Amino acid sequence: MGLVEIATGKVLSSFSVFLFLTILLLVVARRISTAILLFSAQSAIITAEVLATGFRERLAEAYVVGALVFLIKVVLIPRAFFRLVDRLKTPRDVKASTTPTQSVFIAAAMIYLSYAAVHSYGQSVRVPEDALAAAVALILTGAFLMVSRNKALMQMLGLLVLENGIYLAALTTTYGMPLVIEIGIFFDILIGLLLMGIFTFRIRDTFDHLDVSKLRRLRG
Amino acid sequence: MILLLPLAVTILGAGFVLCFRNPRIATRVALTVGGLEVASLGAVVWRVHAHGALQAGRYLRADGLSSLFLINIAFISALVLVYASGYLRHMGEGRFSSPRWFYALVFLFLFTMISVCLSANLGLLWIMMEGTTLASALLVGFYNTEGAVEAGWKYLMVCTVGIAFALFGTIVLYLAAVKAGMNPAAALDWAALMNAVPQMGFDPNLVKLAFVFIIVGYGTKIGFVPMHSWLPDAHAEAPTPISALLSAVLLNCAMYALIRYDAIISHTTTSAFAHTLLLVFGLLSMIVAGLLILVQRNLKRLMAYSSVEHMGIIAIGLGLGGPLGLFGALLHIFNHSVAKSLLFFSAGNIRQNFGTLRMDGVTGMARTLPQTSTALVVGSLAIVGLPPFSLFVSEFAILSEAFSQAHYVLAVLFLVVLSVVFGGFAYHFIRLLCGEPNGVPANSKLIPSEYTVMGIASVTLLCFGAHIPHMFTIILQEAMAVLR
Repeated sequence: MGLVEIATGKVLSSFSVFLFLTILLLVVARRISTAILLFSAQSAIITAEVLATGFRERLAEAYVVGALVFLIKVVLIPRAFFRLVDRLKTPRDVKASTTPTQSVFIAAAMIYLSYAAVHSYGQSVRVPEDALAAAVALILTGAFLMVSRNKALMQMLGLLVLENGIYLAALTTTYGMPLVIEIGIFFDILIGLLLMGIFTFRIRDTFDHLDVSKLRRLRG
Repeated sequence: MILLLPLAVTILGAGFVLCFRNPRIATRVALTVGGLEVASLGAVVWRVHAHGALQAGRYLRADGLSSLFLINIAFISALVLVYASGYLRHMGEGRFSSPRWFYALVFLFLFTMISVCLSANLGLLWIMMEGTTLASALLVGFYNTEGAVEAGWKYLMVCTVGIAFALFGTIVLYLAAVKAGMNPAAALDWAALMNAVPQMGFDPNLVKLAFVFIIVGYGTKIGFVPMHSWLPDAHAEAPTPISALLSAVLLNCAMYALIRYDAIISHTTTSAFAHTLLLVFGLLSMIVAGLLILVQRNLKRLMAYSSVEHMGIIAIGLGLGGPLGLFGALLHIFNHSVAKSLLFFSAGNIRQNFGTLRMDGVTGMARTLPQTSTALVVGSLAIVGLPPFSLFVSEFAILSEAFSQAHYVLAVLFLVVLSVVFGGFAYHFIRLLCGEPNGVPANSKLIPSEYTVMGIASVTLLCFGAHIPHMFTIILQEAMAVLR
């Protein structure tokens, strides 16, 4: 067995553990820049997973998708985020509404819940249970970050984590969607982030802060 | 290839209108592009009617159901563009907030919505549905006030998360199709899926899971309670022509996406489960929105909740199924669009004349703004479902279906909510129209563009109430044939 086969096997068998690690670190991150780096690392793990799957299943398309994931999620988006943080000149804490201890317990509960949720489906669709559980856990973590972090930038990051989860679910169950559709989805994400970037500037200019929990003029 | 025409017109028109800095010329160009867009949509609808379903390449297709929604887009977008030409006349040239940017974004928005109705591939449909959010977010925040920025942000976040769940649902259905042995290249094509689902024995658990995520995801854009939180904010803070587009076209496009999935699984054992979900979401939306209508203070928020209520009515019609239920639901989509645009146009005039949309800030409008008041009265009588207006016909059809299927509790609740909404509208609008006039309107006469669109909308509501045109009945039947 060649080195590549061994590496592929290792990636596929153990990447979920690393994803759970990023989840636990993400929920306790205090600075926005730490969270961005963690997202970048998380996307790198998913890139490895895409390439490993492509190698094992002999899908040439997967290498294109892998390159795209790497370029967009590991390089472009984190860089754009860092620039946004710089340009917005906002305080760099995430403004969590839960303490780190609470966050860790909630994250652990979410990981447990994910295993419970995918248990029945895991056997019927014949995919590794760990991978599916990691995907569901990422979705839940993304949603949790969006509701518990008050900074506009952290809500955007939560959305990206959620999207990573959905992407991973697609990858582990169906080896990804057709290439054209994948590219369209990436394009949508990029435009969406661009628009959210525009809105963060508008929020800062109209309200003088980025704390979206204080935006509550519209009620009822 | 004719399917590419409306797409090309709108996307090229969006770029073209940006080249004109002068607001007057930009408006004229926009009206021309709008005319071309309506003509090309008309051509598509005609071809579908004459030759049956059309296909262009692997990714575009139109059938009877798409036709109905394309007619809706064409009709409402024409009204909105003409109305906007008058509404924007005082707007100057600013960064991203000039008429040319407005029209460019509107055409981009129309492009994404037309693409939703023409997609042959459920993945492309999802991409374009997300595109509608992106194209309209800047339009919602167009005025750049505190309220508009907040509404725009909320709209962008809530709808993106919602639509992400719809992506998950799409993936699960794709998984079910691939596991059942479909070719992965065809497993997202709705026509292929409609043929394959009854024959190939999809895993019912996966199909159920997919539909739950689809109804939550696209339901966020439709505005089903409890995912409706973005809707009143976005409708109230957007410029009035956009409120009309959101309510009359965007919500229906999301409904179209849901109907496609409903059509795919309508021949399986899962369909009873899907229809129950539609009934639950529909009834919940009706009841909650009906009650919230009573306590509104802002005119456009009132109308936004009324949209939630009507989306609930449509979902109930779809959930009941049967010939009358489907007929009522599909007809109601068009009727609600016309009535709601008319109401939003009147609200826009009130805003321009009194500078406010708070209903306690305006009284005695019947005397100061007689023409706008007439439109408001016609629109509200239509929207609460009184005869002789067309919404009576569609609501009556849905109600008859509910009784014929012995859903008595549902039918009674349906009637109770309709009466509550009637009471709410009467209470709010009598205070708005009667009493001593307060404040002098800026300009009590309607300009030609305004009375043209309001007249057309009112006449359409009356005509469809008295007799549905033969041509439209045929198109409705072709749309219903897809769902049987």
